[in-house]
Amino acid sequence: MNIAPRYLGRGSWLARRDPRVLILVVALFIFTVLQVWDERVVLLLLAIAVVYYRSAGIEWRTIRRNWAFVFVFIGLLVTVNLFVFSDGFVEGLPPGDGHLLFTVPLLGTPVTAESLSLAVTQFTRYLTMATIGFPVAFAIAPSDFGVAFRRLGVPEKFAFGLDLTFRFLPSLAADFQTTVDAQRIRGFDWSAGSAGFLSRVRRSTPVVVPTVVNAIAGAEDTIDAMDLRAFGTGRRSWLRELRYDMQDRLVLLGFTALLVVVTILGFLGITSNLYVFPFLLTLAGA
Amino acid sequence: MTTATLNRDNLWEVTSRTIVYSAIGAALYGILLVAQIPIPGSTVSVRPAFALVPFFGYAFGPIVGFFTGTVGNAIGDQISGWGALTSWNWSLANGFVGLIAGLAPLYLSRWTNGSLRDRAIGGAVAGAIAVVIGFLFVFTDAILQGMDVATIFTTLYLPVIIGDLIGTIILVPILVYAWEPVKAQLGR
Amino acid sequence: MTEPAPGPIVEVEGLTFRYRRATEPAIRDVSLTVSPGEIVLVAGPSGCGKSTLIRAINGLIPHAYSGELTGTVKVDGQSTSELKLRDLARTIGTVLQDPAKQIVGAMVESELAFGPENMGVPREEIRHRIREVAEQAGIQKLLGRETSALSGGERQLLAVAGILMLRPRLLVVDEPLANLDPATAERLLALLRTLADEGSAIVIVEHRVEECLDLRPDRVLYLEAGSTRYMGHVEGFLAVADPESVKLPFDVVVDRVAAGSPDEEPVPTTLAGQQGTTGDATPRLEFRGVTAALSEHEILHGVDARFGPRETVAVLGPNGSGKTTMFRTAMRLLNVTGGAVLVDGASIADKRTTDLVETFGYVFQSPSQMLFNRTVVDELLFGPRMLGHDEATFDDLVDDVLRRTSLADLEGIRERPPLAMSFGQQKRLALAIALALRPTTLILDEPSAGQDHRTAQAFMREVTAIPGLESLYFVTHDVDLALTHADRILLFRDGRVIADGTPMEVIADTARWRACDLRVTSLMEANARYGSAEGKFLDADTLARRVIAQDPTRRRGSGREAAAGGLLTEPW
Ligand SMILES: Nc1ncnc2c1ncn2[C@@H]1O[C@H](COP(=O)(O)OP(=O)(O)OP(=O)(O)O)[C@@H](O)[C@H]1O
Ligand SMILES: Nc1ncnc2c1ncn2[C@@H]1O[C@H](COP(=O)(O)OP(=O)(O)OP(=O)(O)O)[C@@H](O)[C@H]1O
Ligand SMILES: [Mg+2]
Ligand SMILES: [Mg+2]
Repeated sequence: MNIAPRYLGRGSWLARRDPRVLILVVALFIFTVLQVWDERVVLLLLAIAVVYYRSAGIEWRTIRRNWAFVFVFIGLLVTVNLFVFSDGFVEGLPPGDGHLLFTVPLLGTPVTAESLSLAVTQFTRYLTMATIGFPVAFAIAPSDFGVAFRRLGVPEKFAFGLDLTFRFLPSLAADFQTTVDAQRIRGFDWSAGSAGFLSRVRRSTPVVVPTVVNAIAGAEDTIDAMDLRAFGTGRRSWLRELRYDMQDRLVLLGFTALLVVVTILGFLGITSNLYVFPFLLTLAGA
Repeated sequence: MTTATLNRDNLWEVTSRTIVYSAIGAALYGILLVAQIPIPGSTVSVRPAFALVPFFGYAFGPIVGFFTGTVGNAIGDQISGWGALTSWNWSLANGFVGLIAGLAPLYLSRWTNGSLRDRAIGGAVAGAIAVVIGFLFVFTDAILQGMDVATIFTTLYLPVIIGDLIGTIILVPILVYAWEPVKAQLGR
Repeated sequence: MTEPAPGPIVEVEGLTFRYRRATEPAIRDVSLTVSPGEIVLVAGPSGCGKSTLIRAINGLIPHAYSGELTGTVKVDGQSTSELKLRDLARTIGTVLQDPAKQIVGAMVESELAFGPENMGVPREEIRHRIREVAEQAGIQKLLGRETSALSGGERQLLAVAGILMLRPRLLVVDEPLANLDPATAERLLALLRTLADEGSAIVIVEHRVEECLDLRPDRVLYLEAGSTRYMGHVEGFLAVADPESVKLPFDVVVDRVAAGSPDEEPVPTTLAGQQGTTGDATPRLEFRGVTAALSEHEILHGVDARFGPRETVAVLGPNGSGKTTMFRTAMRLLNVTGGAVLVDGASIADKRTTDLVETFGYVFQSPSQMLFNRTVVDELLFGPRMLGHDEATFDDLVDDVLRRTSLADLEGIRERPPLAMSFGQQKRLALAIALALRPTTLILDEPSAGQDHRTAQAFMREVTAIPGLESLYFVTHDVDLALTHADRILLFRDGRVIADGTPMEVIADTARWRACDLRVTSLMEANARYGSAEGKFLDADTLARRVIAQDPTRRRGSGREAAAGGLLTEPW
């Protein structure tokens, strides 16, 4: 089992950024996308996100399962929303503005030009957010998380807790594998077996219980080791130094500017309204 | 003669112990999330490992529970290439489950102070309450994605809490039963 | 840095401590003084209170552990209960028993930086110290690596280096040799000696006394059941120590035997179920040019080895050489990438793990990693139930395996929660679990790890006495244990078998022996010198008796007189 976080973007332009940049960009961009409902602007944001994503140098092969998940998961969500729960009207548009395309058989849900446009926009928005989020997995060195969040204001002990989590990943994964092996030689194969949900839960006890209890029981020494080296008794100095360089600043400035612009345009009612595709209106016979 | 006793009643105290248990909880949850193959055909994967979140909260307090849920889920996403922050609201929802389970002494003191059997049952009850309440946070998807609340309820909230409730109710008591006798021998 | 205070660094006086949850004190009335430049060895059997004493010295007691404390512990003249852990950390550095657990950094640098970071030492200064300490500990090569990828020995050195980063004047080390191959152990001891010569004080806890003598400790504190049994010079200690409890140099054993230490039944070296010859029978387990990889990294580079159906084989070799990996391929826990593994003459390529569990009982190094049931009985029956064995036989089966592993005598053993049992008991339970599947062959991975000398010897004695067992293969770092118990030795290095023969044959080539990072023990030298005509490697006790029988001049007076230099609290 491969448990190491995949720091595949190592050396790419994005990976050379200060890790705080990647975290802040996700936050800035999410707030930006949140305010936009005009599909033409969403597509523009998607284009920006794609350029950003490409700069992490992520190979398609390594992440296609995640993309597949995005399409299936959000596709399903949007479809259910559209065909089951929609009333054909979209909030924020003038009432009586539903241009009926057809009615879903059996359920009787009206599908209008507006609700269909909304569905397409929802889908693109989600795609845009995922595109900005994915590089975090590949372009931040695992050992940088703690100090990055520390410098973003997370309390010191918890920031170190993040580092410690990465420290425990490989060793606990190895212990987990040992437990799986140890049960296999008692005739219990965890990964084989039925797909039934209940049996799956019950069958996980022989591997989950020993792993968890041993990990906790084994923590005593780690706790002592930290107390003995004065953990949490004062302000820490972190060996790893983070400093924004010019490009980092430019990236942050760019994304902040984007957020500001979109917010202003939103106030003016320019980007925050749903864009109803004209050809759908035509189809609906309006 | 000095008799040293340490304050061990404060739910919100952050010691080395809190941090180490948090990190172990988060790492284990992340590992098990990745190790468990999702059942094909359902959008939300079935994940018995989820029971670790209410368990760590219940056994070690709200802070450990919150960290285990939030960071564990984010790490699971990070390892699988999803990105730690992409589904940040889901990570937080997991965290709230751990947090609420960790507050059990405040609302379930009759069970948390009882016999081993009571404490095991208390774990299941606290876990169940925590799952139902904590995952309410995924309704933020309604805002983030502009979805209907009914859509979120039927396609996300309901499937997730049903799966996680079953996992929690079965596994948390088993973990409590396994851990408590060991705890009696360690500790300071 | 502050000027070292004159006089002792640590003074412990009349220390008694009872843990909060315990009914009995873990240590009683212990006194100890350590001055700069001194090395004090603390020895004693498992559970005698060594780690508790250390916790009292470094301040974990009373700052992190609560309980009842009497007596005083002073550091530089100040009571530890009045000092903060943060202040104590500047004077005292502690290396805990298990290096794997004390390392908190994911990278080597972050582990080294951890202590100074917590103290708020400026970045530049930390960098400077990293360079300095890495050189001192000889771990420059490790810089830049992930701690999870280090070998056990490298981890131990890193743990020590991480402590040196705070420049302690007293270094406390808890059982540093337990998981080390002998070469790394020697390196570590040399480092400690140098530190002492430069003026640091050292307290080292270790029951491998033989190895520690290279360290030339100034004094020895011997604890038993929490009380001081001996305190004083090394010579005096050697004269009174019980060779069964701690591992002593062979010459000392001879003296002790001559002085009439309690009789011990001789170690049986043949399995109870082992009859007939080792001869040309089809091997139980055979590796033919086996290669295997972990995460695309080849670990076994063509292993050729035969394990007979009726013999005891020990596998020796450095940390990370692939010993465990080899046996994992034999159980089909790992697929081979080349070559073939044969069991009783048939390839296992088309077999599953479950088909092999009735041939091989495999006992992992760490026993608790498979325990999850609420009672010992459920734990024992998990395997047989999974394999669909006849339920009617279960009662007898449980009785039988508990008896064969000497667990049956423990009160209420059947209903005990396995995870809460002591390490030694879990070790035997793991053995019982393996035996419950009725294997004909046992494979033990590091049966002696984590146990003191006496417990390890007793454990091996019990294993060899198990009725019905035909063959036993084990992996170990304990050279004497391997040589005294095995019919045949396999030497492993870099994923290959580089020697195969009887103990006497294999140790004849000392250069090869050392090349495998193995230590030449005094028992080996003695066997070479006084060895028996039949070419068998003898255990210390048997050999000592033979030496005395041959050479009556070795029979000296009672060792107790030699203890004059030290304090012997009670007759041994
Ligand atoms: N935290 C604790 N709470 C209660 N009892 C404890 C605790 N730690 C140790 N003990 C008990 O105190 C006694 C001494 O333990 P200690 O760990 O000091 O032994 P030791 O000599 O270091 O043993 P070993 O060689 O196995 O490490 C043992 O009986 C042990 O069970
Ligand atoms: N999951 C893994 N991925 C890559 N390499 C691994 C993995 N697990 C172990 N190794 C490496 O495989 C090598 C052989 O390991 P193995 O456990 O077989 O050694 P060993 O001889 O049993 O050592 P020891 O005496 O320390 O137990 C080591 O170098 C180890 O670092
Ligand atoms: Mg100890
Ligand atoms: Mg091994």
